[in-house]
Amino acid sequence: MFNRRKALLAAASKGALDMLPLSLAVLPWGILFGSLAIQRGFSWIEAQLFSAIIFGGAVQIVTVELMAEDTPLLTVLFSALVISSRHFLYGLTLREKLRAKPLRWRVGLGFLLTDELFSLSGDRRAYANRYRLYYALGAGGSFYLAWNVWTAAGIVAGAWLPDLTNLGLDFAIAATFIALVIPDIKSLPILVCVLVSAILSIVFSIYNLELGLVLAALIGMLAGFGLQKLRQAQ
Amino acid sequence: MTLMTISLLAVITFTTRYLFLEGKLPLRLGPNVKQLLSFSAPAVLTAIFVPILFIHEQQLDISPTNAYLWGGVAAIIAAYKTHSVYWTIGVGTSVFLVGGTFL
Repeated sequence: MFNRRKALLAAASKGALDMLPLSLAVLPWGILFGSLAIQRGFSWIEAQLFSAIIFGGAVQIVTVELMAEDTPLLTVLFSALVISSRHFLYGLTLREKLRAKPLRWRVGLGFLLTDELFSLSGDRRAYANRYRLYYALGAGGSFYLAWNVWTAAGIVAGAWLPDLTNLGLDFAIAATFIALVIPDIKSLPILVCVLVSAILSIVFSIYNLELGLVLAALIGMLAGFGLQKLRQAQ
Repeated sequence: MTLMTISLLAVITFTTRYLFLEGKLPLRLGPNVKQLLSFSAPAVLTAIFVPILFIHEQQLDISPTNAYLWGGVAAIIAAYKTHSVYWTIGVGTSVFLVGGTFL
């Protein structure tokens, strides 16, 4: 009994450790968000609540700006839905692994399902047993804690910090995702998928397409999938 | 009012994350859909990081003075060679910062 608890704890620690570089990479963004919210006139409780219950990156920064400009509620909510829509893909991808798990695991891990946790869920046996679930809980939970601590730091420092929105703090996020994507390019179809997504994400950003991110990803997925089918048929 | 909006935003983000994890949702994924979804991680993560490197103020920036590009190329090489998140962030960010100072 005792040993089993120890093993579960070890699994959770391993998850937190694997998440550590990603937790550190969002430090600038967390500080940016906390200070931005204060500078746009939100109270510290409201600012912290964004990170505590919404728990998103881009979605928090965009909605704080919109709310500060007194944008109509429906517009704010719709923007949030558009930015968050990529999570539908994560849920679909992990559906077979998680649908039969107890409700508390589905709700807990669902709440923690960020880009970062999803990027650590690629293993074929991810979520397969109790240890794997605790691993994910350690990874997702530690990331949640980190995001909220960075936000709090930004709230405290917010009054003294200059406007950080244009300081190149987003590079750390890009570097993290590069570190997660590049080693996963193990076949031609994945390479094609990545290249198509990359080019389309640039084109759609230039045209400021609302659903550009999800569309670029979907078409990239179809390109990789199509090529894989073609090769299987031969 | 602000608390209300924040709560509604929380409901939206949670719903997008949780919806398809719900077993009662009448939805069966066939083998083709599963194969398609196996590409979702590289596709979405790429669509997030590439615009950070290339797009600034809604404009395409492929000039040699764009430090994001130099840092991005360095990070890609480091990721390819080392397969280590730490090395990738370290090398990429160093080149990005040095580039930002001198370009």
